[in-house]
Amino acid sequence: MGESVASVASRKRVMDVDFALIGHQESWRAASDVLAVLRGPQRMPLPDDEIKDILPWIPPRVVCHVEVRSITGAKARGLYIDSFIPPDRLQAAYVHENIARVRGAAACAIKAGARIVSLGGFSSILIEGNLDQLPERHDTAFTTGNTLTVGFIVQGIKKMRELHGRNLRRSVLLIVGATGDVGSGCARCLAPSVRRVLLNARNVERLRRLAAELQAQGIQVEVATDLQQFSAAADIVICAASLASPSLLLQHIAPDAIVCDAGYPKNLSPTAEVPGAKIFFGGLGQITGGMKFAPDFRGILNRHPFPDVVHGCLLEGMALALERRFEPFSRGRGAITPARVEEMEAIAAGHGIYLAPLYNADGPIEAGRYRYTSWSRASSMSPSRSADSNLYNI
Amino acid sequence: MEPVVGVNCSSIECTSLSTTTPIWQDILAQAMTGELLAAMNYASLSEICDDPEEVCDALEHCRGERGHAAAFAAEGRKIGVEVANNVDAKHWKRLREAFLRCVTERDFIGCLIVQEIMLESFAVASYSRVGKVAPGSMGETFARIAAEEEEHIGHAMSILRVERDRDAQRFDEKVYRLHLDVMTTLAQMLAKECKDGHCEVCHASCVKPALFGVSLTAVELRGASLQQYLKTLDLLGIPGEVTLAWVSQLPV
Repeated sequence: MGESVASVASRKRVMDVDFALIGHQESWRAASDVLAVLRGPQRMPLPDDEIKDILPWIPPRVVCHVEVRSITGAKARGLYIDSFIPPDRLQAAYVHENIARVRGAAACAIKAGARIVSLGGFSSILIEGNLDQLPERHDTAFTTGNTLTVGFIVQGIKKMRELHGRNLRRSVLLIVGATGDVGSGCARCLAPSVRRVLLNARNVERLRRLAAELQAQGIQVEVATDLQQFSAAADIVICAASLASPSLLLQHIAPDAIVCDAGYPKNLSPTAEVPGAKIFFGGLGQITGGMKFAPDFRGILNRHPFPDVVHGCLLEGMALALERRFEPFSRGRGAITPARVEEMEAIAAGHGIYLAPLYNADGPIEAGRYRYTSWSRASSMSPSRSADSNLYNI
Repeated sequence: MEPVVGVNCSSIECTSLSTTTPIWQDILAQAMTGELLAAMNYASLSEICDDPEEVCDALEHCRGERGHAAAFAAEGRKIGVEVANNVDAKHWKRLREAFLRCVTERDFIGCLIVQEIMLESFAVASYSRVGKVAPGSMGETFARIAAEEEEHIGHAMSILRVERDRDAQRFDEKVYRLHLDVMTTLAQMLAKECKDGHCEVCHASCVKPALFGVSLTAVELRGASLQQYLKTLDLLGIPGEVTLAWVSQLPV
């Protein structure tokens, strides 16, 4: 083991848990890397087939401790809890099993005394319409984290527009997965700034309700459950839902469209599915004050080409913890408004949490403006590696 | 020897059962061996108990485990086979030796950790899975014994939680030390394939590849056992991130 049992046990006794992040691994490669860290460098990594056999049996549990630092100097301590949803079971067929796993992870967070819990990745999608499925607990608040995700998607679109010299006012915006919490939030934030909005989702009734809401503001809106039904080609696209077949987009968007892959897991490749399109991964932010893991999962749990980059949904919980606002900021589906997004962005920015440098599956789109802070670089919280080794009195 | 099939079987069931009989024979042999080993462990435990009530408990558990072994033997006879057992088979022998080291040290808590947390987690999880697919009374027997073993764990948990409350660090270190010894052996037993030769309990070649014939897999039995073990450690209060690392480091 990297640390003795004693060190972990003693840490637990002195540590207050401000936040918990509930997540899971989006690929078998990622899961393999996590288990390799846990096995330690002296043991051979588990073969892929063994990982696939074992991981589905692991009950939700804490994987590591996380500490984040604000640019104000404030710190918040938390836990990363993995629900161990197998990467090949993210489909609707496993929804009940997966909700049970998220419930189990939520119970771990409550047991650990976390004051706010962020639901990462697929967990947030599962729970946004099933909040009543979470265990009741008055001193632990749950947030889906979707408000900050929306904020970073919208910021990313605006940044790409600047990079490519586009005029938003003349743009046609297509949102795939428009009736979800993130999709509808993006629609409310961006629709007033564009010429026309195309909303795509599976549920016609919800589509009509969202369209009516936007039309009441004088916005031109079209809705369709099938991408082929739209009368115009979009030049700005937000994929707020993972596409079963990304190539479907090809025929229905402008050849050089700006495309934000905001689904989970992200599955748009710039070269394969939509050549010519300017694709970027949306909804990601960066903690410029720094972030530490114990054990050291830096670059393993946050697999991005830039340091200290995290999904907006998880960052929301960290930002609220740094702000000492332990409240369910994002709950339910369809409640994200531009005002709430602005409020959350302001909270995050106040602690140095900003839009991450843009990138896609091929790598960075823009030069990174940020490197590891010296605090982050001393990333492990173990006594031998941390520059701040009195953190947990070990 | 009694007939391979009972008189109440339909011809289809009879045919089906007769083809799977060798598989059930080996499953029963592993279960019976485990129960006999548990009975021996409780008998040894009774020798180091200071409290007469604990002595009685240990002897009662010993009798219970022997009863379980007898029940598995009886299930074998119902399908027309003699159920073998071998507490000296290589993996089982190592598990027994690990327990006896605790006895030698008069380590009552260590004995409970080995028997109730480690071995019984394995028994409860695997018997429960077998209970769901085994035919007729055999399924009922596995399910009943799984439930009884779970009661044992409940009893031990209350003692162990009190012990951990006294000194969590020391307790967790003891569990880890025993985990390295016992769970490494159990992990080798539960591996998808027996890579280091015959287990010395199966009556012919290794039963694991044939388990699919009775709607089981070695992967499922290992997964369920490790899951039960992790959940039991959670109930003891050992941090989840610690036990996750322990289990991740086991051999496969």
